[in-house]
Amino acid sequence: MPRLFSRLVITSMCGLALTACAKTDGPGAAPSPGQQQGPVKIGISLPLTGDFSEPGKGIQEGYQVWADRVNAKGGLLGRKVELIFRDDASDPNRVSSDYESLITQDKVDLVFGPFSSRLVIPAAKVAESYGMVFVEPAGAAKEVFEQGFERLFYAAPAIADDHYDYLADHLIKLPEDQRPKTAAYASLDDPFAQGTAYGLRDRLAEAGIKTVVDEVYPPETTDFSPIAAKIAAAKPDLVVGGTQFEDSVGLVRALQELKVQPKLAAFSTGPTLAEFPDAVKGAAEHIVSPVGWSAASTFTGNEEMVGRYKEMFGGPANEDAANGYTVGQIIEAAVTAAGCADPSKECQDKLTEHIRQGTFDTVVGPLSFDDKGRPEQAHMIQQYVDGRIEIVLPEQAKTADFVYPKQAW
Amino acid sequence: MSLLLQGLALGVLTGGLYALLSSGLSLYFGVMRVVMVAHPAFLFLAAYLTYTVHTVFGADPFLALPVTVPLFFLLGVAVQRLLVARLAPENVPMMSVLLTFGLALTIEGLLGTFYTGSYKSVSMEYATRSLTVAGVHLPYDKIIAFAVAALTLGVLFAVLVKSRFGQALRATIQHREAARLVGVPTERVAGYGFGVGLATAAVGGTVLALITPFFPASHWVWIGKLMAIIVVGGLGSVAGAALAAVLLGVVEGVVLVTVDATWATMMFYVFLFLTLLARPQGFFGGRLAHRF
Repeated sequence: MPRLFSRLVITSMCGLALTACAKTDGPGAAPSPGQQQGPVKIGISLPLTGDFSEPGKGIQEGYQVWADRVNAKGGLLGRKVELIFRDDASDPNRVSSDYESLITQDKVDLVFGPFSSRLVIPAAKVAESYGMVFVEPAGAAKEVFEQGFERLFYAAPAIADDHYDYLADHLIKLPEDQRPKTAAYASLDDPFAQGTAYGLRDRLAEAGIKTVVDEVYPPETTDFSPIAAKIAAAKPDLVVGGTQFEDSVGLVRALQELKVQPKLAAFSTGPTLAEFPDAVKGAAEHIVSPVGWSAASTFTGNEEMVGRYKEMFGGPANEDAANGYTVGQIIEAAVTAAGCADPSKECQDKLTEHIRQGTFDTVVGPLSFDDKGRPEQAHMIQQYVDGRIEIVLPEQAKTADFVYPKQAW
Repeated sequence: MSLLLQGLALGVLTGGLYALLSSGLSLYFGVMRVVMVAHPAFLFLAAYLTYTVHTVFGADPFLALPVTVPLFFLLGVAVQRLLVARLAPENVPMMSVLLTFGLALTIEGLLGTFYTGSYKSVSMEYATRSLTVAGVHLPYDKIIAFAVAALTLGVLFAVLVKSRFGQALRATIQHREAARLVGVPTERVAGYGFGVGLATAAVGGTVLALITPFFPASHWVWIGKLMAIIVVGGLGSVAGAALAAVLLGVVEGVVLVTVDATWATMMFYVFLFLTLLARPQGFFGGRLAHRF
């Protein structure tokens, strides 16, 4: 025990010493030409195991595809890009220490964000304290933007609350006799999932569509039938799930079993994953979801990204990978414009300034940010039509017509 | 009122599933004071094997059982003889947590390697339909789960009560030294007991695969629930665990339809807490818990 203790003391002293060094030579130190010669090291912590391992891997692949493309055409400012990954096991404590050590020990030049709001907040705190610009692929909950971060940018079209905006617009504009009258909401107790469902709930409630069920369930929930029973008793026109994957499947199955037949069913994340139609068998038809990216879109670099992804990983690209890739595209544009990629305050300030001002052409469309780092665009709405994923809203991006009311499942 | 009935019915059915999933846990603890944190990981290992049988051979998930049940029995005997039996006897409950935690991580890692981290599911035609009795919907998958649970637990009881092996096992559960004195080969019985425990995990995993999609880390959410059930039921008592499982299933279902999901999930821990305060040996259980 005493030995363990002294080891702990030594380790933490080392940690402190390193932190101190990094802090003293960080600000003001002009990047020496020698420093500019090596690769551009980019530090990233991702949930490669644990709850978020699936999306975490998607983001990692997106980062890798981006780095591969940049390196193939000569790197950033003529320097090769080197990605340094850490696995935070979906643990908010680990994610902080990961970024701490990436910045102080690995002396990375830039950092990219992790997956999910729960991990983005602690990670951004660390990055912010070292003055590093922090572009992240998956922290969409509104809490992320309420922490006073000055160097955080969310590289996707919209924050959680705005995901269903196009759907809300569409439903509110329907003629009185077709408009749904009642809606049931069930959401996972998670800032992102709740954000999506509540964004829609608040807008519909304002327009007079009555909320008849409003249920929140913890991540440990394994049985969705009683929630479905509550929804069944209320017979709503609309069922909205603020879901991830298992819960979206669990809810769809339970709603079928309890013979709930809403006119419209919307679920946040689950239906956008390739495994969804198999998991719910025939019930996927006409389910809608907000989606930030589409493989078929013609936005800048999308085709190249999809092709390179297939080459590297052998499958179709997914939204997570696209979000990771988007982070890369934004940083790439900023680094090229600022003419630097190093951890000095001067360079990070330039990058931050550039990202705040600019509009960036990315695989999810043109992106710009408000003063809190929130993207100013909106998500498209996808729907399963004849077994295929089609974009149904907004009007200008649609690949098929929005089907409402949905067929029975 | 009908909502309450619906919640009650779903609770009873889900309780049956919980009873099946937790039955192995009380065996391990009863037989050798082993706190088996890896039990849910084995459940999902069985679920993955079921998935393979279902997708590769196109067979009904339950046809996986003739393969997985004997396999898991052997695996259980091996785990007990090769790993658990080597733990220092005076410290088994504590060390077994560490050992089986390591096992759980190993299984999770292997599943991730072989099956990748993406979600898998076994969805059968009958898994989304339900039987309607007097306005109450009873989902077929839950009915199947309940029936399988009842059958498995029935067989387990029959084995424990009637067979010679069962008597030896119960003797080992009740008093190991005395059992050894009257000639029970407690080492071997303990191995078989562990095997039987894992065999229930094979059945449980197949049922679980029918009901929920899964990925390698799915087992973590089950540990707390299942542990709560066997403590409330009385550690080491298979019958107690079954009763506690149905009780907690009903409480969960009813609280869910009357209050909300957060409270429903919390009920497991409320009951765990109350049990430890009021009756640490468990509400239905034997006299073993005081050694925990």
